[in-house]
Amino acid sequence: MLGSRRNRKRLDEEEADIDVTPVMNVFLVIVLLLLISFSFFNLKAINTSVPVLANSEVVAAPGSDIRLTVIVEIEEKGIRLAALSDDADAETLKRLGTYFSKESAPNYPLDKLSSYLQTLKTKYPKSDTVIIIPEGSIVYDTIIQTMDVARYSKDVQLFPHVVISGKVS
Amino acid sequence: MVDIFTFLLIFLLASFSDHVARFSIDGSVSLPKSAAKSDFKDNIRIVVSENTVWLGQDVIAQVKDGAVVGLDVNKPKSSVLYHKLVQCRQKAEQSTTDTKEKNLILFLCDKRLSFKTINSIIKTAGLAGFPNFQFGVLKK
Repeated sequence: MLGSRRNRKRLDEEEADIDVTPVMNVFLVIVLLLLISFSFFNLKAINTSVPVLANSEVVAAPGSDIRLTVIVEIEEKGIRLAALSDDADAETLKRLGTYFSKESAPNYPLDKLSSYLQTLKTKYPKSDTVIIIPEGSIVYDTIIQTMDVARYSKDVQLFPHVVISGKVS
Repeated sequence: MVDIFTFLLIFLLASFSDHVARFSIDGSVSLPKSAAKSDFKDNIRIVVSENTVWLGQDVIAQVKDGAVVGLDVNKPKSSVLYHKLVQCRQKAEQSTTDTKEKNLILFLCDKRLSFKTINSIIKTAGLAGFPNFQFGVLKK
């Protein structure tokens, strides 16, 4: 009597086990497929261009707001900002220029640059182009960091069109 | 075993991307990190390390003391890089792909290089008919 009860219990336990072999086979195939397409470096891209000679006529839409082109010069000792525009007068453009010194810090004051660019964008929302002019000794990593700051600020688009240029002396 | 597979599957699914780099970059090239989100177009690829410049898989020039050997900044049209890029442009013009896409260069550059080195290459590329670039970066 006791033996038959034990046998019944063992039988119930065996029936309760799930056969995982088909699931494992599916998992194995999916894992293999994903491993094949796995990228060990997640590569992204920043679109940019160099200045080109163009004969196109820039026609401003009537009644449009001022469209600025912001110039960011990365120098050894700091970042110099200036603005260009066909729609604004020279005095206004002169007032928009500024300089952020590195002072004794090893890194560039990119947070100051970011907040200044945000102010410019708020004031002139139609502006979308930034020209980055680094000095010859500036390392590529600094240029990319400056581009990041100029393009976006906390997912808010600032100046998405980046043009990179060497300094014309 | 099922647990291990499940974890592996979740990890791989989370890092899955349909835009995978199908090329390898020399180990000496250390790409900068960026918050950029755009995908790259692998049309024409220029890789610049601290010592070498590659165009696709081919070594085009050496870099010495921050200058590209054989690339005179005042006469970039006489360089091998310029001629190879002109060939690439002519080949791309014959293909049926979108014009905007085929005139794009994917530029993978070591983060420690100076702008002086990079500028000489992008200037040459601009003269060869490639004024638009994509700077390849690693996702932050």
